[in-house]
Amino acid sequence: MDVVVRAVRLTRRYEMGDTFVDALRGVDLVLTRGEFVALVGPSGSGKSTVLNLIGGLDRPTSGEVWIDGTELSGSDEQTLTRHRRRHVGFVFQSFNLLPRLTAEENVALPLMFGDVPEMERLSRARMLLRRVGLGPRLIHRPGQLSGGEQQRVAIARALVGQPALLLADEPTGNLDTGTGAEIMALLKELNREQALTLLVVTHDPEVATFADRIVELRDGRVE
Amino acid sequence: MMTLKDLAKTSLGNLGRHKVRTVLSAIGVTVGILTLVTMLSLGVGVQREILRAFQGVGLETVRIYPVTEEQSSFSRFVEPQRTILITPELVDELGARDDVEAARPYIRVPWGANISLQVGDEMLQVSVDEVSWLPGEPFTEQPELIAGEELAADARGEIFVSLDPLRAVGYEDREAVAELIGQEVALVLKAPRGDTQAFPLRLVGVYEPKYGFDGPYFDAHIGVDDALALKAWWYNDPDILEHEGYDALTVKAASLNDAVQIVDLLQERGFEVRSLKTMLDTVNKTMVVVQTMLGSIGGLALFVASIGIANTMIMAIYERTKEIGILKAVGASPGDIRLLFVAEAALIGLLGGIVGTVGGWLLGLGLNRGILAYLKWKDVPVTGTFFSVTGWLVALALAFATMVGLLAGLYPAARAARLDPLEALRHE
Repeated sequence: MDVVVRAVRLTRRYEMGDTFVDALRGVDLVLTRGEFVALVGPSGSGKSTVLNLIGGLDRPTSGEVWIDGTELSGSDEQTLTRHRRRHVGFVFQSFNLLPRLTAEENVALPLMFGDVPEMERLSRARMLLRRVGLGPRLIHRPGQLSGGEQQRVAIARALVGQPALLLADEPTGNLDTGTGAEIMALLKELNREQALTLLVVTHDPEVATFADRIVELRDGRVE
Repeated sequence: MMTLKDLAKTSLGNLGRHKVRTVLSAIGVTVGILTLVTMLSLGVGVQREILRAFQGVGLETVRIYPVTEEQSSFSRFVEPQRTILITPELVDELGARDDVEAARPYIRVPWGANISLQVGDEMLQVSVDEVSWLPGEPFTEQPELIAGEELAADARGEIFVSLDPLRAVGYEDREAVAELIGQEVALVLKAPRGDTQAFPLRLVGVYEPKYGFDGPYFDAHIGVDDALALKAWWYNDPDILEHEGYDALTVKAASLNDAVQIVDLLQERGFEVRSLKTMLDTVNKTMVVVQTMLGSIGGLALFVASIGIANTMIMAIYERTKEIGILKAVGASPGDIRLLFVAEAALIGLLGGIVGTVGGWLLGLGLNRGILAYLKWKDVPVTGTFFSVTGWLVALALAFATMVGLLAGLYPAARAARLDPLEALRHE
């Protein structure tokens, strides 16, 4: 099987003044290509920390993260940046779109840092926005879009760099149930169509049902 | 890496979000650049005016003066004795040189002398000077020849007068004046000792000076030999040339290089030598003082402005922490973030610089008008453009303004680049 992500004995300790908080106490996780995995658990269980470590937004206190043959935990900032740019796409709970850019500009934004000519950036952004069902909304700004539409823009943005791995942190957390289900269905479609590897963090059992596999975290350990 | 277009677009968009803040931060740069542009345009303009004004005379012209003994507190009310004289031999020697086109001695008609121009039966006081109306004083318009011709360099027994004294004695129009050409007139000297002497001279030409203020000008010009005769009579000393020599000597060298050599030669012999080049050097030195003063003001303003820009950028980074987190999450490198904020700061500098450059140019125009109006009111015969904004000056000012912004942005941008992406994303 084609392994996309291999996390080995990950620990993450946060310093809070004089005390420590151990968010992760040795997590092992393997994602294979095209797999849709839901990471579930109560709040404070360390789900988001795992996501951030795999996404290269954070470094583990110990352990290793292997992605496409590169080990992230000991890498420099440059390698992490390149990893975020080429290998992963992020979808956040609060969408995190830039409010003064239009939908297509938001989607094209990551390509600005990746040497892609402006015309190609916009055409790729438009294509993806049409794919997520926002063809008529290309030049709307986030403030003019509903929550579900904003999350679709965010998904398009996460995919514009053609990553192998999509990381979503509570993607339905700010949406009502119906819209949330639509977003999850969209993610599932993308996962099937493009053999996209998907790791979704959620505390909602309904959301987790869309996944091929559910990994449950409790107190920083895989159950 | 982002392209320049991406940078410009993104930075302009970000600055456009806080227009008032951007403008306020840029004002410091505007003031600084305005001062610098005004100062430099003054330097450029004055130098160009001087060069232009002196070009007619030629930089190869050298003027030599006799040397007088040093004045002490005992001798300062006595006419000083000359120790090094401009003798006729020196004039001949210089005139014979290959690298000299012309050597023209000059005799100053005594300043206190009471001299009248006699035309027919009419007498009118005039001031008499050497053959000097061509090639013109610096900064003044060329006089207009009304009738006859100019006084030749070696004129003898001839006189060249301004129009006003003739007008005053009834020759109102050009035709009447033209009829006077070739007629005999006289300069009449009245010495304090009681003697009066008339020097008959033939009128060769009449001109109208254009000094930029209203006359009347009662001026007359005569050749050096006639001036010598007047001076000798005035001091009652027929051998005055032997005792005092000429009052000055103008040497026109064949080229600028020759002029430099003649200056050296005569300075070695102890003469006081002035060339337009030495005058230009003096003017340049004065300009340096003025420019240093204005430059300090401009520099100070720019220093304060850079602090303002740095402050603005630090605030902007605080406000946009979350945005920086998003940019980092989607693949912006620390270098990209640094570039974005440096570009934004540089753009503030550039905007301030553009306004400052235009302002400096306008200020120069206004000051120039004001100065000319004031000089006219004060009857100082000067015209010209003393503030000149050239293309390279604009380029320099804008580059400098951009540089100030850029430098001010370096520290804030480095802070932004160092932000931890996860913490930045959590920032609200």
